[in-house]
This record gives sequence, C-alpha cells and structure tokens, in this order.
Amino acid sequence: MRAFVFTDKALERYAGQFVWLAIDTENGTNAAFLKKYPINVWPTLLIVDPKKESVALRYSGGATVPQLKKLLADGTKLMHGKQSAADEALSRADGLETAGKHAEAAIAYEAAFAAAPKDWSRSGRAAESLVFALALAHDQARCAARAAELYPRVKGTYSAANVAATGLGCAGDLKEDDPHRAPLLDTLEKASRETLDDAKIPLSGDDRSGLYETLIGTRASMKDEAGATTLRQEWATFLEAEAAKGKTAEQRAVYDPHRLGAYIALKQPEKAIPMLEQSEKDFPTDYNPPARLASAYKAMGRYDDALAANGRALQRAYGPRKIGILRNRSDLYALKGDKNTARKTMEEALQYAESLPAEQRSEALLASLRKKIATM
Amino acid sequence: MKKLAIALLLALSPALALAKEVLPFIDNDYGRALKMARTKNVPLFVDAWAPW
Repeated sequence: MRAFVFTDKALERYAGQFVWLAIDTENGTNAAFLKKYPINVWPTLLIVDPKKESVALRYSGGATVPQLKKLLADGTKLMHGKQSAADEALSRADGLETAGKHAEAAIAYEAAFAAAPKDWSRSGRAAESLVFALALAHDQARCAARAAELYPRVKGTYSAANVAATGLGCAGDLKEDDPHRAPLLDTLEKASRETLDDAKIPLSGDDRSGLYETLIGTRASMKDEAGATTLRQEWATFLEAEAAKGKTAEQRAVYDPHRLGAYIALKQPEKAIPMLEQSEKDFPTDYNPPARLASAYKAMGRYDDALAANGRALQRAYGPRKIGILRNRSDLYALKGDKNTARKTMEEALQYAESLPAEQRSEALLASLRKKIATM
Repeated sequence: MKKLAIALLLALSPALALAKEVLPFIDNDYGRALKMARTKNVPLFVDAWAPW
C-alpha cells in the first residue's frame, strides 16, 4: 500500500479528516500498541475512535485506493452516524477480531448478515471478514462452506478475491476423505479463477498474485504437477509484466518476493538475481533484498554467496524477522557440512527470539527452535 | 490479498524509505497520534504493517 496507495494524490483530501498512524509491527517500541491491538494479518487497517480507544472498523489485508476510500467513509459513518443493527454487529465483530477472539467474531459477523438488508453496502467487507475469522479460528469446514455460499454475493467485486481464495485455502486443508472437500475445491477453484480473469474488478497486482498462489497450491495439493507448472509460468509472466509497469523502484520491488517464489518453484532461481541486486542498490538499508538473494543463491547451490548475502541481511534486520534470517543462516551452514556452526547459529536464533518483547514472541516458534536444536 | 502469520515468508511489502506518501503519517507513536486525534476530534487511522 505504501508503494501504490498512500502515494496516490486522490487521497490528499482525506489528509485532515483523520490522524494517520503507521505501526511497524516488527519494531519493539510498538509492544504496548500490539498488546492492545494484536495483529496477525499484514497489513491490518484500523479506524479507532480516539475518545473510547475502541476499534470502529478493522480490515485485514491491503486495499486499493477505491477500497480505502470506502473504508474511510464507512469508518467515519460508523463512529458518528446512527448505526443499523447490522452495522452494530459488524463493529462488534471487528472488535472481537481485534481482541483475537476469532470464533466469537465469526458468530458476530454471522449476526450482522442475519440483521442486514439484501442490499447492505457492507456485505463485501463482512463476507471477507467472516471467512477470514473462520480460517483463523481453524474452522476450515465452515470457512470453505461459507465462502462458497457467499461468493455469488460478492462475485465481480474486489471482495471476491479474498472470499474465494481464503475459502479455497480452507477447502484444501480439509481431510482428503471429507465428502465435502472435492465439491468445495471445485466450486472455489472456479470462483478464484473467474475472479483472477475478470479484468473489470479493480484488484491490485498483489491481489491477483495471491490468487495465482492459491490456485497453484490447489493444483499441487491435487498432485497435478503439470497444471501447477503451467500456472507457475503464467504467474511469472504476469508478475514480470506488473513489475515492468512500476513507475518507481518501490512499485517494481513490491513484486520481488512474488517473483522469487515463482522462479524458485519453476527451478529458475537465477532469474531472480538481477532484480534483487537492483533492489539492494535501490534500498541499501532494507534487509529484504539481501535476505531474498540468500534464498535465490541457496536454491542455486551457491552456499558461500548465500551466506554473504544472509550476513548483509542480518546486519540490517530487526524484530521477529531476524529469527528467520538466523535460521536460514543455520541451514546454510548445515548444507555446507559445518554442523557445529549450524547449531551455534540456531542457538543464537533461540536466544534472540527469547529476548523479544512478549507481544513479538511466539511460544510455538520458541518450541520449534528448541526442538530443532535438540536434533542438531 | 490477506496473509496469515504462518505465511510470513511470502509476505509482500518491502521497507520503503523513499515512499512519497500524500498522507501525513506519524510513525510508531500511538500515544502521540491518539492525543492528536483527540485534540482534533477526528478518527485515528492505523496502518499496521511489517517491512517484509
């Protein structure tokens, strides 16, 4: 959003209508904010009533300029206008989701739908939020089923991408002997493809890339390797065209991680090197380009180059992401046969993870690091 | 497209130190932003993001 949305002059007229706050969730100074407003989806957009310090609106995921304009209008109305029963339920659901109560939030989103008129203007956002809350509550069966039911209601709108793709991901997570799995996969795969192909929907390139990722994952999970490869090639071509349209280095670099993923999946990691070297020049303080270069070199078997790039990333990294960079470094030493340094580096990752503020610390991650060290 | 916590490695936005934002964002200071919103009597918009 920083590359494409917050730089759009169409938003200038909103500058004085809100106070604008950017929270880097990796930055330890935001621990108190994260305790009050836990974030588990990036980005998450909030509109907060400053007097009550309560969330009037929560939107999980990125937004295009038209989407953001609608969210801003909605948030203002929800704070100041008279609310319908459906709107009140939606605000309550957003509050529960903010508190990390995903199952309860899903019930409240359902209540909003039950109270809403057929032409409810917030049905798209509510459908996205409901399906996503169900996914986060690990209720994959209901997530997939509700996505399939709600898709016709959001078809042809930007909410269709999140409803179809999140639902498809949930359907793929159902047990293979679940009788609902195959029909839900079929319905939601078609819905995702239909949304991807609908050029009239004002989706961001990022959204369309996400649809490709989900569709590829679905084909791969069905052991349709030929279908997955065809889609990966289509995805890479799409991403190259989107990156070429970028008017700034930031806009081009948005597609770096997507392209890296596509090239590695296509077993062509060398294709990622020139763009990542360019990004490292364009953003010399950003840890992402060298971290991604390390992944590309690793996939090419160039472990010494990967370690050098990983070292540059490590110098610039901070917050929880630094743990992943240290883990990658440990893996690289292991691949080189240096078991002793691999173990020491993994211990360093654990030590660093334990030093993070509670809000940035993941017990599951700590457990997995300890388990890994025990085997080294 | 939304991303779950488990999808960290596929996350999207790079740190954009050079981005020219048209909106006057306050960086990483909730207390200051909250106070300003109360004083101006306007809602607080929050973009919770990560640099990966």
